[in-house]
Amino acid sequence: MPLWAGCDVGSTTGKAVILDESGVLAGVIVESTLDPEITAKKALGDARAAIEGPAGDEEFERLVGTGYGRLQIPFADENISEITCHALGAHHLDPEIRTLVDIGGQDLKAIALNDDGTVMEFAMNDKCAAGTGRFFESMARTFQLSLEQFSDLSLTSTRPVSITAQCSVFAESEVVSLVAKKQAPADIAAGAQLAVVRRVISMARRVGIRPAFTISGGCAKNRGLMKLIEQRLKLKVARLDFDPQLLGALGAALLARRKSA
Amino acid sequence: MSGAAISKDSVYLHWAARNWLRILRLGVNPGPARLLKIRKRYPWVSGFLKVNKLMARLMGERRGAYRQATGFVINRLIDALAIIVRDIHRRRDRLIWHEDLVPPEILHAMGLMPFMVEMLGIVLPMVDCALGESYLDEAENAGLPADTCTLPRMSLGLALRDHFPPPLAIVSSNSPCDGGMSSYAFMQKLSGAPTFRLDLPYRFKDDQAVDYYTNELEKMIAFLEERTPGRLDEEHLREICNERNRAMELELTLWDMLRHRPAPLGSDVVFLAHMLFFGLFPGKPQATRLYTGLIDYAKQSLREGGGIPDEKYRVLLWNPATLIFPEIFSWAESEFGATMIMEMLTFNRHPLIDTSSRRNMLRDLARIMMQGPMSQHTRGPVEYFFDDLFFIHEHYSTDMIWMAGHVGCKNTQALLGMMREKCRQRQIPLLTIDYDLGDSRVVTAEGIKEQVRMFMDTVMR
Repeated sequence: MPLWAGCDVGSTTGKAVILDESGVLAGVIVESTLDPEITAKKALGDARAAIEGPAGDEEFERLVGTGYGRLQIPFADENISEITCHALGAHHLDPEIRTLVDIGGQDLKAIALNDDGTVMEFAMNDKCAAGTGRFFESMARTFQLSLEQFSDLSLTSTRPVSITAQCSVFAESEVVSLVAKKQAPADIAAGAQLAVVRRVISMARRVGIRPAFTISGGCAKNRGLMKLIEQRLKLKVARLDFDPQLLGALGAALLARRKSA
Repeated sequence: MSGAAISKDSVYLHWAARNWLRILRLGVNPGPARLLKIRKRYPWVSGFLKVNKLMARLMGERRGAYRQATGFVINRLIDALAIIVRDIHRRRDRLIWHEDLVPPEILHAMGLMPFMVEMLGIVLPMVDCALGESYLDEAENAGLPADTCTLPRMSLGLALRDHFPPPLAIVSSNSPCDGGMSSYAFMQKLSGAPTFRLDLPYRFKDDQAVDYYTNELEKMIAFLEERTPGRLDEEHLREICNERNRAMELELTLWDMLRHRPAPLGSDVVFLAHMLFFGLFPGKPQATRLYTGLIDYAKQSLREGGGIPDEKYRVLLWNPATLIFPEIFSWAESEFGATMIMEMLTFNRHPLIDTSSRRNMLRDLARIMMQGPMSQHTRGPVEYFFDDLFFIHEHYSTDMIWMAGHVGCKNTQALLGMMREKCRQRQIPLLTIDYDLGDSRVVTAEGIKEQVRMFMDTVMR
């Protein structure tokens, strides 16, 4: 049974998806190491292990690497930008998707899709951590909460405070000051979420927001963030029937399968 | 072959030697002692010693006549700059600071020495980013907002450090942007020189506007005649306009040759030529000789099969070129087989000048200024901006548009959304490059490359 794999080596996590002709067999997420090659091996190894039965021992027909570490996966047959892969992954799951924002660990990308899932236009911010997963990590650390707890905390806010700093380092200082001023933690957490929402919407507007609109990347699991984006955009964010953090790896695996055909 | 391996070939060495000779001639005129004084007074002069490095970067992996043309235009650039350095002292009693959107033809015809204030803000980042960046900080520390366009900011920094030769008078305009206008208010105060500002009307494509702007030029002439030894010599102006017309016809011929696929030359060569012809020496015989030479190289390049024989893409670069990364042109050629055919600062709707009377000459110079790059694109109705953009796209059969999204250009930043919509309607792939015109600390050359690679890898794949 032929298998195809996609491996997305990001700044904070490595992701792998394995496909056969019928669909997704496995998808895993591992912590990134300093060496993208090791991260890729670990992600692919874990994905293989997750496949039940003899199929897990099959060689890959084709492997496509993506993500910022894609150039350091020497055993990949090809490497393709994560923008292309996220777009294709989203299109595969919902062909109506026309705008996608990928909130990654260290960058933020807005992608406009053509009808066939190819990229029409994109905009990205990879120069600062504002509006990325790093920002949330930093905020959650300030509150000594996990990311999920931080997200849930923000959902209980009744009056979000305004976080004015764009830079995540300054924002962390601002949050510490707000805590010292006895502002309600839930309102501060919601304020931090809103700061990211503003960045996400601003980035999305650079490519033009056309429905259907969706979010990918680990931050798409942040329920508080998703709720605020919908409120601000007055638009339903399409929920894909797949782990949004694996979208890039899925797109890479789909490209591997397509190129073998 | 890598760029490093090819950069010291015989073509490079030939033009590098000629550039050095031109620089060394400054030791004869104005002479070594005077030159040392000039060098001490104006430290940016030392930047010209790096011109051969700039030439190597622009030449990249180019070959044949295209490589020769690159060397030729850089040699003409260093010649033009050397003339300015020489005349800073020799003609200091006639030196006028002028903005790049003021017609230098008139100043030449008045026997004055035009000193284009923005020239160094264009040349220094191209030669070496670090040369200009300290001037940016100087202007910022003096109170010019940090988000002002780096071109007027760098010019003001030079003026603040007293690195411009003192002017008898200043002539500027209300174009192309608020940043430019505010920098001239500073410069007027700093220099104490009398200043005249041309007022470009908002809508400038009808006869009433042309009349209005012609009258503005008349007022500028009267202002200069009252405050400087300059006098408008109508016959001299006619000679300048006739010579300009000759160069203009040659430039149009060259532009026409660029429509050929593959193109004979890339637009950096054409841009630099245009800057010399239009900004520094319009109506001078050296401009005409420059275009004659470039046309010869372009013809030879076509006989060789084009500048990039395996040209895959044709690119239209819009907005001011990436001065901090001038080799984007040769880099795009070797990396993607993409020839950048034309860009905004070069393409100019300049009519041939009617030299039958003083009034007619001034009317056509008014038209040229009003409908020229920047005036046409960064003020006035938005249609002027898009009409040129899409005309050039079709005329030169480009495959994509790269919008140099200079963060300091608020006028064009405000148009990005509209530009995206219009490009989508026409199904033209659009890349917006985030960068700053003259400050590599905002986005580095590598950062620009990464944006282009992403675009080529995803949208154009």
